Amino acid sequence: MDLKWSEAIDGLGPSLLQGVVVVLQATIISFILAALVGLLIAMCRLSKWKVIRGVFVVFVEIIRGTPLLVQLFYIYYVVPLLLNHLLASGGTQPNIQFTALSAGIAGMTINYGAYISEVFRSAILSIDTGQKESGLALGFTQLQVLRKIVIPQALRNSIPVLGNYLVMMIKDTSLLAVISVSELLLRTQTYASQTFQTIESYTILAVVYLILSLPLAHIMKMIEKKFHVEN
Amino acid sequence: MSETKQSMLTITKLSKYYGKNHVLKKVNLNVKKGEVVCIIGPSGSGKSTFLRCINLLERPSSGSIFYQDNDVLDGKWKTNEYRQHVGMVFQGYYLFPFKKVIDNITMAPRTLKNKNKAEAEVEALELLKKVGLADKDDVYPASLSGGQKQRVAIARALAMHPELLLFDEPTSALDPELVGEVLRVMKGLAEEGMTMVVVTHEMGFAREVANRVIFMEGGYIVEEGAPEEIFGNPKNERTREFLARVL
Ligand SMILES: Nc1ncnc2c1ncn2[C@@H]1O[C@H](COP(=O)(O)OP(=O)(O)OP(=O)(O)O)[C@@H](O)[C@H]1O
Ligand SMILES: [Mg+2]
Repeated sequence: MDLKWSEAIDGLGPSLLQGVVVVLQATIISFILAALVGLLIAMCRLSKWKVIRGVFVVFVEIIRGTPLLVQLFYIYYVVPLLLNHLLASGGTQPNIQFTALSAGIAGMTINYGAYISEVFRSAILSIDTGQKESGLALGFTQLQVLRKIVIPQALRNSIPVLGNYLVMMIKDTSLLAVISVSELLLRTQTYASQTFQTIESYTILAVVYLILSLPLAHIMKMIEKKFHVEN
Repeated sequence: MSETKQSMLTITKLSKYYGKNHVLKKVNLNVKKGEVVCIIGPSGSGKSTFLRCINLLERPSSGSIFYQDNDVLDGKWKTNEYRQHVGMVFQGYYLFPFKKVIDNITMAPRTLKNKNKAEAEVEALELLKKVGLADKDDVYPASLSGGQKQRVAIARALAMHPELLLFDEPTSALDPELVGEVLRVMKGLAEEGMTMVVVTHEMGFAREVANRVIFMEGGYIVEEGAPEEIFGNPKNERTREFLARVL
């Protein structure tokens, strides 16, 4: 077998570097948004209003019960159609479209937001009532207890799981290839099919993912250690 | 020798139901400024519930609570503001584990009384000194013993300058050798004139420090009086039985 490693590295490398930028962009933005969405959903699911709780139970179940891949297709292809249809009025036909990247970020945000909401929810529920009561007894309002005592601890306790999700997210950006985001997989596919350097290309791709995710996993462990508080 | 002191807390016909379970049955209590009232009684008699009704951690089902001259149940006074005047110390300490000792103490005054950080910390250090933990400001609660945690919890409550302090079995979770250090701090507070309502199983403390001892059973105040009366010459049969068991 005649493998052209250096040719593949030279040919695919620069494109993959650009792909890395896309991947990091998609991951970082989606992760931050997903954490915010997750916190918001968690709060809604702990709301005293039944209707709000119900709406978000259904929402989370829908998201968790369908594949991210399908959600990406749905956001990229179906949602614009629906919007255009809904907004069409009196002869004017709007032409809403999402860029592939923004659809991808939206999909990952919603998908991961649903999962992260469960993490936050159980972390919030696991804070000892005694702590909330001692906060109340000091004269804090319910909202202050939530903001100053419950949520900071819940967030800390969620760090290990969030770290795992961040690493999973980096890898899941490969799914964005199906809606034509030029991330790593799509670039590799294109290169491999043009040059037939299939083995080299996909091996390089795998290595790039490893280079991205291994240090990240390590960093997350360190952050975890730093924020770990014994009870 | 009847000196008339200002009334701190006046509770009238306080009842509490949990569903159909009648836990407090028209309980009356009057606490004067500077008084130390100890509540004793068997498990399940409603002592904690009573204490928790005082600062509204539990909502009484009926009855009235007057704090100084304010009706705390009429809704005019915000509950969280009322609670800033009434500190509480729990059996389980419940320090905030993610904050250092000093921040546990300064958090409430900084947030609720708009004290600046430096000012609040100076005061917190004084309080730590007072509870005998001057060198523990910079550690996390996890590194403290139970007795130390409870003393920090007392300092945390004191940082809000409460006029009334509630204690719910503050030493019951402690190893026997750590009980003394907490009781000593509480005794010191009593001597300074702090008004306190203390649910306790420490009969020695009640006898020595309380101005008045209340014996509760089955949701009723069965007997109350000066410690010498309750411990020396209890009038009620139930009180006698209880004391025979615990002493
Ligand atoms: N949140 C609650 N919901 C339902 N019932 C409760 C609740 N809290 C207390 N009770 C019941 O009220 C009664 C009095 O309980 P309480 O905790 O006030 O007793 P206690 O005198 O403090 O007992 P102990 O010495 O064991 O602490 C008990 O029968 C208990 O089961
Ligand atoms: Mg109790």
